[in-house]
Amino acid sequence: MTYLYLAIAACMLALTVWNLWTEKDWRKQASAAMVAIPLLLRVLMIK
Amino acid sequence: MKRHHATALAVSVLALAAAAAASVRFLDHRRPEPLLPGPGVSEVRLLSQWLPDLAGSPGDTEVYVFRGTVPGSSMLVLGGTHPNEPSSFLSAVLLIENAKAVSGTLYVIPRANASGFTHNDPQEGAPEKYSIALPDGSKRTFRYGSRATNPVHQWPDPDVYVHAASGQTLSGNETRNLNRGYPGRADGTLTERVCLGIASLIRAEKIDITIDLHEASPEYPVINAIVAHERAMPLASQVVLGLEFLDVKIGLEPSPKKLRGLSHRELGDATDTLAVLMETANPSQGRLRGRTDEALVLTGRDPYYVKAQKLGRLYVPFDEKGHPIQERVARHLAGISEFAFALSSERPDRPLELSGVPEYPELIEKGLGAFLKPLP
Repeated sequence: MTYLYLAIAACMLALTVWNLWTEKDWRKQASAAMVAIPLLLRVLMIK
Repeated sequence: MKRHHATALAVSVLALAAAAAASVRFLDHRRPEPLLPGPGVSEVRLLSQWLPDLAGSPGDTEVYVFRGTVPGSSMLVLGGTHPNEPSSFLSAVLLIENAKAVSGTLYVIPRANASGFTHNDPQEGAPEKYSIALPDGSKRTFRYGSRATNPVHQWPDPDVYVHAASGQTLSGNETRNLNRGYPGRADGTLTERVCLGIASLIRAEKIDITIDLHEASPEYPVINAIVAHERAMPLASQVVLGLEFLDVKIGLEPSPKKLRGLSHRELGDATDTLAVLMETANPSQGRLRGRTDEALVLTGRDPYYVKAQKLGRLYVPFDEKGHPIQERVARHLAGISEFAFALSSERPDRPLELSGVPEYPELIEKGLGAFLKPLP
């Protein structure tokens, strides 16, 4: 179950980063970057 | 490079920098602070020596053993079942650094839920650490942890936690609460396996009495109290009387038979140990508290609890003096000493005699720092 949830978090992170790089509004890019931080920390099992 | 790619690169770099800075602090939580065993510690073992499956896991934890020169009864003290209850952990630390067993054997686990010390409860505003000043001017700093196992070590939580032995259902996050997982199971979660490790230790070492140390918020009904399994009630009654002689008021509550998973219920039912739990009053855990910081953890002073006391909302006396950490630790240590004394009185052929345990009045007068060793 843990690995399934990690895979979900990794997919969310990938989609968030994709959104960050395709988005043209810098404010939405900044929002995506902030969303990516906790996702990254969980995918790396740091927090 | 397109303009939006340049801004994407900039915010990505900032996000990575923020993640790196946060990671350093989060990973620092995983380094346990050093404890300095006193001359009474005979050996330091790991819980995995009683449950090998725990070896190398974040649930494995140190067990300090004090062997007396004369055989006798045995006692297990559980500190840090809930790592956000500092008097529980610090009482165990003071035993490790000061106590000796004259007869019998004392086992002390300071970080019963070792994983819980590696993170904080989110959205509680709790401090990451607290420090205690020593007479030589130095200080000892300890982690203020979470009530439950780190979700990095046990994830995800179920929507509903089902206690394996009884089928009792609780909120899903209770699946990481060590004091809801007893007696534990080999194929369970990390928390349940730690519970099983503790139960295995009790069975293998034939522990006569197990004392689980806790703190509770002042508005919680079971506070400044001993909760005892029915087999431990006679002994706990003697302890209540003994503490009265020290002017330490403490209640005695029977372990509820229908509230399952708790140490005083399950360890008493599943093993031969006399299982008890002790609670002190800690406003830094309560829902009525104001600013939550290191000072609140250490002084136990909170104006909102003084107001709540005046409104008759609390189950423990509360005035401007609060409930400082030395008082809370002194209550636990006095209770442990009284349990050893009462057990020895009941079993004079198998006494459990402890020496060097800081006494209630001197702890109140001198504070914790006088009984902690300076770091080398």
